[in-house]
Amino acid sequence: MNKPLPWRTAAKIASRELRASPGKFLFVILAVAAGVGALSGVRGFSMAARSMLLRDARKLMAADVMMRLREAPSAGAQQALLDELSAKGIARTTITETISMSATAASPVPLMVTIKAVDPQVYPYYGAVTLAPPQTLAGALGADTVAASDDLMQRLKTGVGQTLRLGGKDFRIVAALVSEQDRLSGNPMTGARILMSRDALERTGLIGPGSRAQNRLLFRLPAAAGVEDVKNRLQKAFPGAQVIDYRETNPNLTRGLDSATVFLSLVSLIALIVGSLGVAMAMHSHLQQKMDTIAIMKSIGARSGQIMRIYLLQTVWLGLAGGVLGIALGAGVQRAFPVLIRRFFDQTPDITWSWTFVAQGLTAGLASTVLFTLPALLRVRHVRPVLVLRREMEETTSASGFGKRAKSMAATGVPLILGFGLIAVWIGNSWRIGGYFTGGLLVSLLALSAVAWLLLRGLRWFLRVSPWKLPSTLRHGIANLYRPGNQAQPVLVSLGVGVMFTLTVFLVQRSIVGDIVAKAPPGTPNVFFLDVRGEQVRDLIALVQKQAGVDGRMELAPSIAARLIAVNGTAVEKHPNEDVRRRFARPVPATWSDAKPAGAEVLRGAWWAAGSAGEEVAVAERLARQLAVEPGGFLDFTAGGRSIHARVASVFRTGPSAGARYELAFTPKALESIPAIWSGGVRVKAANVAALQRAAYERYPTVTVINMADMLEIVQGVVDQIALVIRFLSGFAILAGVVILASSVAGTRFRRIREVVILKTLGATRARVAGIFSVEFLILGTVAGVMGGLLGSAFASLLMKRLLDMYVRFDWIAVAVTVAASALIANGAGWLASFRILGQKPLEVLRGE
Amino acid sequence: MMTEVTLTIPRPMVQARAVNKTIRNGSHRVEILKSIDLSIPAGQFVAIMGASGSGKSTLLGLLAGLDTPSSGSIILDGEEISHLEEDALAQLRGRKIGFVFQSYQLIPTLTAEENVLLPMELSGNGDDPGRARELLDHVGLSERRHHYPVQLSGGEQQRVALARAFMVRPPILMADEPTGNLDTANGRHVLDLLLGLNRHEKTTLLLVTHDRELAANADRRVSLRDGEVVGDELQARDE
Repeated sequence: MNKPLPWRTAAKIASRELRASPGKFLFVILAVAAGVGALSGVRGFSMAARSMLLRDARKLMAADVMMRLREAPSAGAQQALLDELSAKGIARTTITETISMSATAASPVPLMVTIKAVDPQVYPYYGAVTLAPPQTLAGALGADTVAASDDLMQRLKTGVGQTLRLGGKDFRIVAALVSEQDRLSGNPMTGARILMSRDALERTGLIGPGSRAQNRLLFRLPAAAGVEDVKNRLQKAFPGAQVIDYRETNPNLTRGLDSATVFLSLVSLIALIVGSLGVAMAMHSHLQQKMDTIAIMKSIGARSGQIMRIYLLQTVWLGLAGGVLGIALGAGVQRAFPVLIRRFFDQTPDITWSWTFVAQGLTAGLASTVLFTLPALLRVRHVRPVLVLRREMEETTSASGFGKRAKSMAATGVPLILGFGLIAVWIGNSWRIGGYFTGGLLVSLLALSAVAWLLLRGLRWFLRVSPWKLPSTLRHGIANLYRPGNQAQPVLVSLGVGVMFTLTVFLVQRSIVGDIVAKAPPGTPNVFFLDVRGEQVRDLIALVQKQAGVDGRMELAPSIAARLIAVNGTAVEKHPNEDVRRRFARPVPATWSDAKPAGAEVLRGAWWAAGSAGEEVAVAERLARQLAVEPGGFLDFTAGGRSIHARVASVFRTGPSAGARYELAFTPKALESIPAIWSGGVRVKAANVAALQRAAYERYPTVTVINMADMLEIVQGVVDQIALVIRFLSGFAILAGVVILASSVAGTRFRRIREVVILKTLGATRARVAGIFSVEFLILGTVAGVMGGLLGSAFASLLMKRLLDMYVRFDWIAVAVTVAASALIANGAGWLASFRILGQKPLEVLRGE
Repeated sequence: MMTEVTLTIPRPMVQARAVNKTIRNGSHRVEILKSIDLSIPAGQFVAIMGASGSGKSTLLGLLAGLDTPSSGSIILDGEEISHLEEDALAQLRGRKIGFVFQSYQLIPTLTAEENVLLPMELSGNGDDPGRARELLDHVGLSERRHHYPVQLSGGEQQRVALARAFMVRPPILMADEPTGNLDTANGRHVLDLLLGLNRHEKTTLLLVTHDRELAANADRRVSLRDGEVVGDELQARDE
């Protein structure tokens, strides 16, 4: 007679219970909804925000993938690949850049110019080229027309409508080239620029064998999903070419986007964990109240499996209901985010209804609901039917041995952790992130369980041996924690896990945002000055600082070309690193500086004392790693016709300032008498750049001024947006965490009714009962806060180190605030939950027994 | 009016051999039952008596497999149950034991009829609404079969519990103070029904009570004090 309980009967009992107390189950549904809502809302919005950020990032390259080539593709495999990509719908266009000399009738002395030839019908795939007067590229650029940069027209004393000469042919200037958003990915450090069509370039006759032209192939993919694949295939087929995708156009941007991606996965996962915790707590408390019913059913012949079927059905229904509500909530969240941040964003992400996210949210919500309810469900097996005869007996005899309990913990813990691990990998879209999360969850569960166990026993011991006569409210409050049937242990564990993950979100977002801000501080230069001679430095700085719209100090740093000869006595040609051999076959730029340049950070060794008479060099961290040198080593160079034998004084991290950008910095003494060219930049308001350029040109016609304001504005804008998105999402996750924390305490409400009633029957006033509960809640909240604070700090630091290569310092203040907040939330939630039951009439409950 | 009678003892339906039950209450060990030996033949009506705390409910729980003894063994209908797994015990109860509790123990979310049908559904034998109705009719509740426990009085709830107890025609019926929560009239009614059904269904009946009058209806009276059997006597039914 092993037939299972028919699903119909199970469903009947399950649904009747649900209908009997809808208010109670509403909480479970809300907990699932909060988790699923956060998950789908955060994911939906973050994907939309990410694609918005990436769309901006694409502007910087005008394409999804770019390949820089020196030679034309070979007819064999290379051309075959390009044809295959075209056949797949991947658009391709070629940009040719070269340098030439140009002159006009008014200024017959030729000027070196950068020519960029494009196919105006398709270029740019993303972003825009701004011309003045405004017109389309296709309309402006013909076989005999060009657009020229403002500085070129100034220098050649020409203007729109006039002609300039290139390669012996005349071209009419139809527009001023105001901005090209993809200029960073071209050859940015040359000043005067001409944009023309490929036909026009053909006409110049500049392209021929041995020309210095460089080709860039731009690719636009039908869907961004295949970027990695296309990039890898191109890299394989064109080993000498540089292939990059839109995520790599700017290191700050790349790092920002990478951090954002990791963070968004993290927030989604945390939303899921905190939601699941709420469900676990609610189902735990629900089943706790169903002990009598379970015992009755067992006593009349129900097997554990049959009863579990009833509660599994309930769980699945609640999970589904919560999931559906959560999806609706998530949709609301997705829509609310852009409204909230409209003030800061100059564009709104396109929010699209993604069925994938809906399915993912529902599945993850349902799966985690069932998983986190598993411990409570499996407890059904341990409900003894004797409960129908004697409740007290059940409570006193249920304490089983350590081995049995460990076995039971493993039976519920192993599937929970494994199941959660799989969900985490799925949601986080990475085995690594999934692994860290699962590990973090496992460690925190174990640590919190152990602490809870110790605490409860410790308190019991303390009350027994304490020489002081504690006030009775305090004594009762403490005793409440370890009284049989109390849920202190599960509440402490779930509260602790919730605190831990909430703090993790806060610490990680703060570090990421801090990193983003530090990498692109507000004063980052956007106008650059090249070819400044030493004697011009002082006056040029004075001139620039006087101009309107200049933000912060102008910085110039000297630059010399130095050739590396030997590393620690070994000739560079014999260096084991091939990159080193190749790179140092030519001279590389280096600077000198008496003091450590602003923004540079010495990692090992020390910067030399001002006025050092020695030949010393500081090496940037990455280069030091490549060269395999450390402070105390020696590098031999030749520069300006003489040899330099420099001791490595320090290894430093480069910074954004002019002097801190060079990878090699010498003592002034080492480079004494070697002629240097100075370069640097200053931050200028975009509207004032043209005036500054004119003023500089009038006084110092030989100095090249490059306006990068428009491009850097995009980078800065995107980076700022990333920081904002991260801040908002973490705010949301933290809020969800707080709600769930509150509800895990509130979940113990039903169990408390009986004890409130008994206390009141025995003469306790409501204030006294509330006092006893406060002691209990404050202890729970404080311990959960301390544990969650420590675990969260450790977990955040692990994630930052392993996933983002950043370091987090232990933050006492954050932990202290966490402890205080956790105690207050636990107390507040406990009060809120107990408020109604404090007014309960004892007889109603006692009669119900 | 008790008379010593000699009965031909049929095969034992319920047996307890050297049963002990100890529970731990904090650091204390409390012996609830001490070396109980008992053999109850099929069809016998046994009243288990004793003061509050004497261990009678615990003994009933052990005999029904609701709890396991600390030592000793329980044999139900020839089957040793002390070492059975929880689920096997549940199945055994579903087949062999009907229960009536002092506080009725109906499932609050099921109607009277659904409560009566539940043991049959749990045993996997489908349902038999005809029998459920017949039993409800027998206890005088056919008109109230669609009512929920909360809509029934204590006496009515106990009558539903009675009907439920007999639903699968169990060979054994165990009742723990079945009239303890009822007033005299209702208590008498329930008891009459219980004894009538017991006769009709020919079950072995174990009744825990501290009511001497009630116990006088039994074939045999087992008295407990401080966890020990202090009296075990057969008696003529006082009907």
